[in-house]
Amino acid sequence: MRVTLTVNGERRELEVEARRTLADALRENCRLTGTHLACEHGVCGACTVLVDGEAVRSCLMFAVQCDGREVRTVEGLAGADGTPHPLQEAFSAEHALQCGFCTPGFLMLAAGALQEDPSIADDPDRLRELLTSNLCRCTGYESIRRAVTRAAGELAGGAS
Amino acid sequence: MAQRAGGDDSEFTRRAADGGSAPSRREDARLVRGAGCFVADLLPEDCLEVVFVSSPVAHGEMGAVDVDDARRMPGVAAVWSAADLPAVPQTPPMLGITASAGRAWPALAVDRVRYVGQPVAIVLAADRYVAEDARDAVRLDISPLPVLLDPTDAAGSEVELFLGMPNVAVEKEYGDPIDPAVWRDAAVVVEGNYRQQLLAHTSMEARAILIRPEDDDGLTVWCSHQAPHRLRGDLAAALGLPEERIRVVVPDVGGAFGGKSETYPEYLAVAVAARRLGRTVRWVEDRAEALTGPPHGRGQNQRTRMAADADGRILAYELTIDADVGGYPHLGAFVPLNTSVMAAGAYQIPRVHVQTRCVVTNTAPTSPYRGAGRPEAATAIERTVDTLARRLGMDPAKLRQRNFIRPDALPYRTPTGFQYDSGDYPAALALAMRTVDYDGWRAQQAQRRRTGTGAPLGIGICSYLERSGNAWEFGSVEACPDGTYLALSGCCSTGQGHETSFPQVVASVLGVEPELIRLVEADTAIVPRGIGSYSSRSMQTGGAALHRAAGALMEQARGRAAESWAVPIEEVTYRAGTVSAGQRRVSLADLAAATGPLRADEVFEPPQAAPYGTYIAVVEVEPELGTVSVLRLVAVDDYGVVINHVIVRGQSYGSIAQGLGQALYEQVRYDPDGVPETRSLLDYLIPTLSEVPPVTLREMCTPNPNTALGAKGAGEAGCIGAPAAVINAVVDALDLDDPSAIQMPLTPFACWQARQPALAGAGR
Repeated sequence: MRVTLTVNGERRELEVEARRTLADALRENCRLTGTHLACEHGVCGACTVLVDGEAVRSCLMFAVQCDGREVRTVEGLAGADGTPHPLQEAFSAEHALQCGFCTPGFLMLAAGALQEDPSIADDPDRLRELLTSNLCRCTGYESIRRAVTRAAGELAGGAS
Repeated sequence: MAQRAGGDDSEFTRRAADGGSAPSRREDARLVRGAGCFVADLLPEDCLEVVFVSSPVAHGEMGAVDVDDARRMPGVAAVWSAADLPAVPQTPPMLGITASAGRAWPALAVDRVRYVGQPVAIVLAADRYVAEDARDAVRLDISPLPVLLDPTDAAGSEVELFLGMPNVAVEKEYGDPIDPAVWRDAAVVVEGNYRQQLLAHTSMEARAILIRPEDDDGLTVWCSHQAPHRLRGDLAAALGLPEERIRVVVPDVGGAFGGKSETYPEYLAVAVAARRLGRTVRWVEDRAEALTGPPHGRGQNQRTRMAADADGRILAYELTIDADVGGYPHLGAFVPLNTSVMAAGAYQIPRVHVQTRCVVTNTAPTSPYRGAGRPEAATAIERTVDTLARRLGMDPAKLRQRNFIRPDALPYRTPTGFQYDSGDYPAALALAMRTVDYDGWRAQQAQRRRTGTGAPLGIGICSYLERSGNAWEFGSVEACPDGTYLALSGCCSTGQGHETSFPQVVASVLGVEPELIRLVEADTAIVPRGIGSYSSRSMQTGGAALHRAAGALMEQARGRAAESWAVPIEEVTYRAGTVSAGQRRVSLADLAAATGPLRADEVFEPPQAAPYGTYIAVVEVEPELGTVSVLRLVAVDDYGVVINHVIVRGQSYGSIAQGLGQALYEQVRYDPDGVPETRSLLDYLIPTLSEVPPVTLREMCTPNPNTALGAKGAGEAGCIGAPAAVINAVVDALDLDDPSAIQMPLTPFACWQARQPALAGAGR
């Protein structure tokens, strides 16, 4: 089937089988391998991307479901001039990654949430629930929580 | 009230947040942009995808494998079972483990299958979806045989998993048998039976390998691995190729935890396929396959016995282990050695005797899993020491203090043949007690018990000692004419940040900025020798090798300068990248440009080191539901000299999360037919953010006396210290007289059942 996605602002026309997941379409067809597959059954969240601004697990969505929609992946998180997103800087500053395999998923999860409601980082319970969506086997999560809080502060500071 | 995750009172939080005194990791720049390169991110043109047809039967006699329908499917390049191959390579035994003799693990199953998930046929297609369709079209004919799932049962069973051979693949003994009189005459003897459940490593990236055949009949192999040179040697041996024809490259690795230091049958089958078809071929394992295993970790049945005098001085300790090595003895057969040599933990016990049996079963083959025998040892002795304290009516902290090896007794040789290097074990416990407010919690526990209010509260201690490092490692430092330095290491980062920390080591010796130093590892074409990263050995052994290489480079530069200036070497001094004598002065860069390469290679094999520490957990157990809440966890670790505190604290924290996973949630489960029940992450539960309690980390530092660098090794301690601390706390909370009544994972049901044995028995 022929589908048209806008990925990180770029229009992509793809010929895909109906059963092809969005994750595989992004990784193999678009060669955007920053989106990682770690469980392929929607539990770990490593493959999280934004579809029309909303965080989705790209292993649980078919590419054809995204026809005509906007997809944002970790490759589209930094500014057009390459300036890192505050989340990217904060993850590094807080040592919120070790092997880095789950990192793109956490970044996109947090990016979607902070875009939707920056105040989420002010509420420990909501932030905990948000970050409980995804799995990391290396860090023990505390540094990820701190990184998202730090980035939210940066984003709020930049907006004021 | 249980404090949940997000408590920001931790030392870790404060220290890491206080201004980034450590540099950002070099690895991060690419990883946060999604520009890392894991094996599955390599997308060569015309690459075939591999999918394995694996056995759905845990133990059975193989009939014909019908691949005809699968082969006819459009887009399928090949489907082969063992019968289709002129020769079926066998997985080489690892570390000279003799258990493999006569129990070969073939690339594709021949005659028999011995665990669910064993590869039976290989399918290749350009498209993964098509390959999976073809996999599903392969028909197997396997006649089931009796299934053995427990190592102790298997050791005593008449069912032979390998015909004509015992199920006990290795039997070993450490220390001398204990005179029966010791048990008879001791004031107190306690016993315990403990189960170390099977765990799944669950690195976020599962196994992955990509192989490209080369024109010279050689192979280039990209693999998510911990030990590239070992993999090269194993592939060469299995395929009958000279090692130099094989190049192994390990790109970014998405976690390993001991499960990626092995050579697996799937790798051999992929190599065979690449060579037969002359095509680039890759296998990217999915999560269901990864959870099915291999590998699994842990899997020990333990029996302990401990004798003490009336004052609580431990007189003897005996540990008996039946270790599950799964369907084929592989690196899992090495693990009980680690458990055995450090069995006595941090205690001065005059008599220690350990007997181990590595037993084949019909579970997936086991391998080291973070801690690799050490958590098993720590849990066995620490649970037993707590039982002894209970029997004596002594505070468990006081009992430990009475039995620790004193600092002035170090170095200390254990009755099981391991030498402890340096440290202050009593001080680690004292620091942990102060940090957690031990007396305060004991007072609160007493009050709750007295008044009958509040949930049962327990405090658990684990004073662990581990054995880190293993064998030699290669390190090399070269001064380049452009003013930079090239460091090579035989280690292999799987997320530990070597690109950042190893240059720090070299820079500290050379007295130059770390930015000038570039690290290359994990490519056998560039790094001439090496072993890899496991056993907390990267800094302890690999860092120490680089430390020596940097020192040797300085000496080489002085010698070279002395020669070209015709002065005695004693007159040449080295300082911050330059050598000088009198008025003459030259940078190493210019010296290399003028006189040829300046490079020092070192192979260094320090003795194993003994990091140690004390963990204390405070828990509440919800009385109706059995839910465990960890209120506080304090970890005191002495890793020796730490090069990058941010990285090491990150390792501690993550390792603790994995230790909590073993204590509370994780377990590979099989049904009675040997079919794994935990094949998704909804069934196999690893901790999320919500499960990680407030953690306070404290570091002590006793340098490793056996290396100039002084690092003892870090990364596994959390997995070693946390489980025993948590389980001792839960036993304390539940006030259990028989500690064997509860085993990990401490699920709500396990706790509820242990608390109300009569009710639970009726309800089953």
